[in-house]
Amino acid sequence: MTTLFPLWRKLSRLQQLRRFAFVAALSFAVALAITPALTADDWLPISPEELKMTSEPKAPGAPAIYLYRQVDRSDLSHGGHEHNYIRIKILTEAGRDYANIEIPYRDRMGISSIRARTVRPDGSIVNFDGQVFKTAVQKNRDSKFLAKTFTVPDVQVGSIVEYRFTYDFEDYYIFNSEWIVSAPLFTKKALFTLKPFDRWPMQWNWPAGLPEGATKPVQDEHSSIVRMTAENIPAFQEEEFMPPPNELKYRVNFLYSEDGFENDENKYWKKFGKKQYDRVEAFADKRKAMEEAVATIVSPSDAPEVKLEKIYDRCQKIRNLSYEPRISGEQIKHDKMKLPENSEELWKLGYGAGKDITWLFLGLARAAGFDARPALVASRAEHFFNPKRLDSRELDANLVVVKLNGKDIFCDPGAAFTAYGMLPWVETGARGRLLDKDGGDWIETPLPTSSATRIERKADLHLNDDGSLDGKVTVTYTGLEAQAWRIDEREQDDAARKRSLEDNLKRNIPAASEVELTNSPEWAGSKNPLVAEFDVKISSWLSTAGKRELLPAGFFVNNEKHMFEHSTRTFPVYYRFPFLKTDDIAIALPQGWKVDSDLKPVTQDIKAIAYSFSVASKPGTVTLQRSLRCDIFIVPADKYSVLRAFYQYIRTADDQQVVLLPAAAVAVN
Amino acid sequence: MLRPFALALLAASAFFATLLALPVHADNGAPAWMHSAAVAALPQYDDKTNAVILYSDELIAVQSDGKIRRTVRVAIKILRPAGRSLGKHRFAYDPDTKIISLHGWTIPAQGKDYEVKEKDMPDEGYIPFESGELVTDVRTKNLDLPAADPGNVVGYELVQDWRPYIFQDMWGVQRQIPVREAHYALQLPPSWEYKAVWANHLDVVPSTSNGLYSWSLSDVPAVRWEPEMPPWHGVAARMVVTILPPGSSNSGFESWAKMGSWYSELTRGRRDVTPDIHAKVVALTASLNSPLAKMQALAGYLQKDVRYLAMELGIGGYQPHPASFVYSHHFGDCKDKATLLSAMLADVGIDSYYVIINADRGAVDASTPPAVGNFNHAILAIKIPEGIADAALPAFTVHPKFGRLLFFDPTDTLTPFGYLRGDLQSNYGMLVIPDGGELVHLPQLPPAKGGTRRTAKLALDPQGNLTGDFVEIRTGDSATGQRYRQHAVTKSEDRVKPLESLVSDSLGSFVFTKASISNLDDTSQPFGYSYSVVARNYAKTAGNLLLVRPGVVGSYASGILERKEPRQYPIEIDSPAQYSDAFDITLPPGYEVDDLPAPVDIDNKFASYHSKTELRGNMLHYDRVYEVKQLTIAMDQMEDFRKFNRIVAGDERSTAVLKPSASAQGPTNH
Repeated sequence: MTTLFPLWRKLSRLQQLRRFAFVAALSFAVALAITPALTADDWLPISPEELKMTSEPKAPGAPAIYLYRQVDRSDLSHGGHEHNYIRIKILTEAGRDYANIEIPYRDRMGISSIRARTVRPDGSIVNFDGQVFKTAVQKNRDSKFLAKTFTVPDVQVGSIVEYRFTYDFEDYYIFNSEWIVSAPLFTKKALFTLKPFDRWPMQWNWPAGLPEGATKPVQDEHSSIVRMTAENIPAFQEEEFMPPPNELKYRVNFLYSEDGFENDENKYWKKFGKKQYDRVEAFADKRKAMEEAVATIVSPSDAPEVKLEKIYDRCQKIRNLSYEPRISGEQIKHDKMKLPENSEELWKLGYGAGKDITWLFLGLARAAGFDARPALVASRAEHFFNPKRLDSRELDANLVVVKLNGKDIFCDPGAAFTAYGMLPWVETGARGRLLDKDGGDWIETPLPTSSATRIERKADLHLNDDGSLDGKVTVTYTGLEAQAWRIDEREQDDAARKRSLEDNLKRNIPAASEVELTNSPEWAGSKNPLVAEFDVKISSWLSTAGKRELLPAGFFVNNEKHMFEHSTRTFPVYYRFPFLKTDDIAIALPQGWKVDSDLKPVTQDIKAIAYSFSVASKPGTVTLQRSLRCDIFIVPADKYSVLRAFYQYIRTADDQQVVLLPAAAVAVN
Repeated sequence: MLRPFALALLAASAFFATLLALPVHADNGAPAWMHSAAVAALPQYDDKTNAVILYSDELIAVQSDGKIRRTVRVAIKILRPAGRSLGKHRFAYDPDTKIISLHGWTIPAQGKDYEVKEKDMPDEGYIPFESGELVTDVRTKNLDLPAADPGNVVGYELVQDWRPYIFQDMWGVQRQIPVREAHYALQLPPSWEYKAVWANHLDVVPSTSNGLYSWSLSDVPAVRWEPEMPPWHGVAARMVVTILPPGSSNSGFESWAKMGSWYSELTRGRRDVTPDIHAKVVALTASLNSPLAKMQALAGYLQKDVRYLAMELGIGGYQPHPASFVYSHHFGDCKDKATLLSAMLADVGIDSYYVIINADRGAVDASTPPAVGNFNHAILAIKIPEGIADAALPAFTVHPKFGRLLFFDPTDTLTPFGYLRGDLQSNYGMLVIPDGGELVHLPQLPPAKGGTRRTAKLALDPQGNLTGDFVEIRTGDSATGQRYRQHAVTKSEDRVKPLESLVSDSLGSFVFTKASISNLDDTSQPFGYSYSVVARNYAKTAGNLLLVRPGVVGSYASGILERKEPRQYPIEIDSPAQYSDAFDITLPPGYEVDDLPAPVDIDNKFASYHSKTELRGNMLHYDRVYEVKQLTIAMDQMEDFRKFNRIVAGDERSTAVLKPSASAQGPTNH
């Protein structure tokens, strides 16, 4: 039975407190003492305006808002801590859920000094004196993720919920941290401070900018405390087809470096490039072994492009551990599994992680005589790269650039199911560093055009007198679409893959249908498109209009039915990659039926994205052709209305109907 | 909410039971009982069977002091990649159900066995919901078995001590994967007795030997998920075992009366009215004269001002907090909210009774054995005072002893007093009365008490553009659904989004020029949407014809039975309802009707549908009424249900054809 509504579901919150980034541990002891900005029993005064307020003009309709948030962190080797203070105004009944508090924390830190209270609209106070529960979200020998939870009593619309607590860090535990300035609720005012650990240089940046009402983080010369205030921070809410949320949230990142920072951007990246180049070379440069290996792959008489493709294909056939179910440490130990430490070992063992397979390809390509160079690029799955941030961790994907006939060929054979000449979508249109012994240069990977990634649907159908439709459908996936299917289904067997393909086709057809896969698609490899053939039956396809019957023109259009249905938009629209969808549908009419009225061709081309639709009929047959091309991956929010209008236009065109006269009506006419 | 499965959860995560005939551990590998199960021949399973339970064995050893030791052994063969998830198990425990030992193994198709040590089993708080609104002392030990790959056999042995609040256990023998061999044994001290009742399965006779009662089943088929199927408890075979200590009142439940007595005792004194509560009752009702108004005021207070918070601490999974606690904290779970409302009603002289129920209709029926594990929710039955008309509070039944009893769920903040949401209608619950309890059948409301009434005045222009105004009046679950969506909206400008999603089901291209909501928070009144719309190219041109679908907005046809696989289980419908549309579409100048859709009149026991399009002057008038009358579609009604929905779907697509009127075409040459 469909649950009408999940009565007790609500959004998770306090995500702003989940900030456990890169961790570095201290190996020596330093004692420092500072006075915390807030002591354990401080409650900040509440103004009559805060008590009286019933809404926030800058957040109309909000269920609750943060009146105030404060984070005071001290990175000390002894007694490191972070005081947190949160004041929430409850504005609606739904907002009362914010009286349920969850404070996450992890290993090597504790939570102390939890205090909470409810301030009623009349100013009277109910202190929290209930139980705090410790909930282990994840725990094993190496790490755990814990939360302390409690609920504040007597919360009504108009109440203020206020709580504070302190994170206490284990001695010598210093790690990169961040202030997540954006929160799920509107924030009226916020204060952030950080007292850095004084033995390591620290830098900070704010990759997504700062909200309008924020001051830039400034470090006090005497106390060394970094401080920032912000006002009127809009609530952060996710939208469909949005860029990575991490890219859009206001936040301030703090990075420590044991070795110090290079503030000259060029020097920083050169230094990084040199170091990485040495590491790659140490792995890949096994010349003799690679030459022996490449001799088993290519023939001396092969043309260079043939050689390169053969090496690429061979590397893709190596067992790629990055695309297998996670192997636990127990299993590695149990199976006495050795992990390769260089290209020679990887070649001998016949398995390795995806990134290492790509470096093996580097070694093999060089051994075959190619000018091949390693590159590190910033995948665009979680962030959009900005070299000014001087954060080398953002260069998180690797590939090889090979010179072939004067052109650069970008190869990442360690990305499974990626066809030769393609890159996984996260590495397309991405900036990165082409490495060499001098530190390398910036490169940008190509963004493939829509023609490289296609979904081609061809149908050969028969319309029956009773309005049902049956026949064959062939769907061909190429490029990144084929790769996505193969990656998604890589751990499944044929039966499960069959169901996935069938369900996907059914979801595309805007009527109840029965679908049966009839061929065995090629799931392994990446060279060929993924082709799926189906028998399709639709029990009721026509609509009746008196003596006429109407044949819907849109056949594989259901997935676009609700796209961009909302009139407003906050964030840009983000497609993962360009694509082209083409439909070619031939429908044989029942004996004696004829087309009463054809449809005019429709075209809508706004350059980056285009649509066309046409109908052709000849006695006994109707042919529908549709094309949707998208050559863009990001649409700014201020152009959203254009995109929405485009999709509305598509839907209107897809809603057209071909007028048919059944045999009986033809006879009367 | 009552503790969901408090004990059943343990059985569910641990699956089954064992007889300890084989050695516990083999040296350096999985125990002999697992190896023995792993090599047994298997029948051929279809390609949807991801794994099979080769062997499950559960021993419930009851000691004379009432302590119970549960020993569970399970071996599962992974057949397909999707079965890998069967390598992960969560075992729940709390201070009353301590895990004594837990071992896990994998027998790979080739190579040495794997063993998981207890130190590698993460321990975490039990968080069944997305966020941590549940306050509970239930925790889980998590067993992640390595190499849970196709062809391999995974298994575990769990020993758990349990001092039950209720001497009752549930053997959930049927699972979502087939079970090749299952055993359950009950070891009782001398003079102890038991009663076993089966649900969704024929009785199985145990073998008996020296106080050991043993049940065995083999080749138990899987329960496969189907859309809109009854809840798990309504379909899966299980045995409820009631343990009866000699001469003790602390036993399991042989009857509803006994279960009711237990709950009555457990809640004794919980509904006492304190001065604070009395003062609040006075404040809420002093200005009100009629009992009905007082009941509405108190119910509204519980719905709106007392926040829901699930709390399950020990016996608190079953026992509500005192009304005074709930009142002072302004939060509580379902039974807490029912408790405070009951106390407040008593303070104005109105009696009410707990109703322990399952929030999913179909989990419990008239044949279900009394067991607390069947239920997960608590509501109230309120004795309706004399002088209140039946129509004012339709969700009532007439009880032979108490007269009219109104069923009301104070946890449900969106369903108005006097009504019940669909899940609870025609459901079965245990009515807790002073001298015991009884299973009662909750009322089903008439279809007209819920649904959507949509009207529109529209105009079409010669280019096919449609403009006009819609008004929707929603009641029952139809109103609740939209109120829920609106309550999830966190900024004013997004208020229109639920409406945009609704209309985009029917219109490919549209713009709202105006939209408003009525009675969003006042649940005593119908919820309403009013909106003005411009739909460009709504009517499609075909030659010189204009094709107009007169059912402009709204779709009710279900494609649930349009699938290859034969249906296995009945269909549960959300709620009884009546949906009606009445649209007037003014024809574009210069056009007249060439053809109209045929009327549709279909009336089944489960639903009816009547639709008509007619020309009234220069207007197309579309009128339809769809009524849901029955909440469960039985297996023998499936074909009729399929046909019914095909007819409805066809009608929803049906189209009127307009042609240029003779006068607009001008004079013809002769």
